[in-house]
Amino acid sequence: MRRTAQRRDGRDRRGVGIESKVEGFNERSRRAIEDEALHAAVEVHSKNTVNNRNRALRALPDAPELRERAYHIKQETMANLDRYLSQMAEAVEARGGNVFFARDGEEVVRYVGDLARRREARVITKSKSMATEEIELNRRLQEEYADLGLKIVETDLGEWIAQLAGDTPSHIVAPILHMSRHRAAEVLSGVAGEKLPPNVEDLVAFARRRLREKFLSADIGITGANFGVAETGTIVTATNEGNSRLVTSVPPVHVAVMGIEKTIPRLKDLSVFLRLLSRSATGQKITVYTNMVSGPRGEGEADGPEEFHLILLDNGRSKLLGTEFEEALYCIRCGACLSVCPVYRQTGGHAYGSTYSGPIGAVITPLLKGDEEAKDLPFASSLCGACAEACPVGIPLQDLLLKLRRRQVDEGLASKAQQIAFKGFEGAMRSPAAYNAGAKAGRLFQGPLSQRGLDRKIPGPLKGWTDFRELPPIAERSFRELWKEGF
Amino acid sequence: MADRKEFLTTIHHRTRAGRYKPTHAPDVPWTPKDEPRKEERIEAPPARFLEELEALGGQGLLAESLEEASEYILDLAREREARMLLRWDVEELERLGVDEPLREAGVEVAVWRDLEDPRQIAARADVGLSTAEWAVAETGSLILRNGKGMGRTVTLLPPTYVAVVPEERVLPAIRDVLEKYEGRLPNNLCFHTGPSRSGDIEMSLTIGVHGPGDVHVIIVRES
Repeated sequence: MRRTAQRRDGRDRRGVGIESKVEGFNERSRRAIEDEALHAAVEVHSKNTVNNRNRALRALPDAPELRERAYHIKQETMANLDRYLSQMAEAVEARGGNVFFARDGEEVVRYVGDLARRREARVITKSKSMATEEIELNRRLQEEYADLGLKIVETDLGEWIAQLAGDTPSHIVAPILHMSRHRAAEVLSGVAGEKLPPNVEDLVAFARRRLREKFLSADIGITGANFGVAETGTIVTATNEGNSRLVTSVPPVHVAVMGIEKTIPRLKDLSVFLRLLSRSATGQKITVYTNMVSGPRGEGEADGPEEFHLILLDNGRSKLLGTEFEEALYCIRCGACLSVCPVYRQTGGHAYGSTYSGPIGAVITPLLKGDEEAKDLPFASSLCGACAEACPVGIPLQDLLLKLRRRQVDEGLASKAQQIAFKGFEGAMRSPAAYNAGAKAGRLFQGPLSQRGLDRKIPGPLKGWTDFRELPPIAERSFRELWKEGF
Repeated sequence: MADRKEFLTTIHHRTRAGRYKPTHAPDVPWTPKDEPRKEERIEAPPARFLEELEALGGQGLLAESLEEASEYILDLAREREARMLLRWDVEELERLGVDEPLREAGVEVAVWRDLEDPRQIAARADVGLSTAEWAVAETGSLILRNGKGMGRTVTLLPPTYVAVVPEERVLPAIRDVLEKYEGRLPNNLCFHTGPSRSGDIEMSLTIGVHGPGDVHVIIVRES
């Protein structure tokens, strides 16, 4: 109910996980652009993040080399993913952990639900995991295993507040950057049963007290994984608050849900990625807690989980292997491409209608969910290439966006106008005669549009383009004509 | 499990599909290159460690003896008006000899062995005390491993956390630490770097969210 209800402000709440509908970027972005508070928050966050990141990377002399190595490590991993996954599973099992390969979200829900039933679990604490957001694990567990009466608590401060507000994270790294502290205070006051002042320190102190009880009473802890090291069978989580370490240390059961693409082959590869991840995400050299779990508690230990379960989730990822979209799987979810994206900076994350926003979201949402469901997203980009430049593993994001647009045309999914534009452009570029004729026709038919003093707007399907832009008149003579005449 | 075989076979076929060879990216320029392209050398790891830790809001001390370390802990416990300190059950902390002075000062000392309800004690303690397997100068991180007598919650639940690390365990970089494990990690290994923090609400940095906000590391140099 929480996920589908209308929000306080009456906005459409559809399209939270990959499982829901994400169509409608244009409409949502239009509303987001009008939201000045949101726009200001996204802008401040983006600017700060870009500055911090640049400072951190500038101080890392071998950054370009690391990036290149990261790309090649990922490339090699994907080419041998079956072998590395199998190695990873064997290593975890050798230490007494359990491994489950899940084709989709449904299988994860079954596995975790049955586990919760067997353990007679009541309280589940979770630390931030995009993969479980993607499959909407919380909602589905509560709906499909309603008889267990599970209490599922997000423990990352931002995620918890989002959960309490019936909201979804709007950013991979900063989940509630769309929320003001006044709104956060309002949400937390709701659970406190008293009015909390909109003072960040007080709010955090309240969250610490309240979540402490949850940590201590949890029966199962669920985390995601930033990396999975095949060689050692290790899942790595990076957090600043310490919630992930609590979630993996206190409850008797730890379940890690990891997308199969998070695999890296060797332990020594981890230092490459650790040096890139937090610098790109927040400008830190390393997050406060970088926690590595390779199995359940050992003999004679008085804390740590008795059971460790690793769920390796496919959910459409393997379809990209060996295709022209494979590089989308190299993503380490640092969020750097969001902060530099001129589209994201205008709209914020919710406009994308997907767990993953920004340029990487515009790429992987249609790839995981299908073009039809996320038709607008490859167009939510100016193709300026800032995303690819910021990416610490060198994913050519704007190329992938273009390829997705191309694919829509090939599949006949693109609108008629887009198809004509793509095909027409292609035809004109191939034939000089057609190009010249087109240029001349443009000059002839721009007609009243080119006259000064008039509102220079194109009517019809291209109206949106000129609503916010000046349309320059077409020059009287083209460059080609001038060239022929020798100027 | 039959499912697993099928799962991996599918992936195997897809990786071998070979329809596409990714480019030899990254081919776009990246990050300002005004520095020479070489890895940084860290000359004095302990000093650099303390510098990094302090930059993060942690506090550090380079102690010349175990006595100095012990005094620091005693002073800290007094300053924080601690009623209980919980420590790992390891030989280095026995040698530190801080238990008696603490008890004399009225601070209850709990040791992570044979505790009836260890979790509740960790939740009640005001100060957690541990050693670290390694420390990393590059980042100011402590490397904590799991093991008997080395409770994870000791370093997590008390609001004040102190670690005592012999000087020779401070390594220059993350890579040096990972090399020590030669492809085999303990079941839990944590890189703990400074005080717990969050910037989730309006990017306003707040210390001590779930883990300790008050972090002290004493590096001991014994002659």
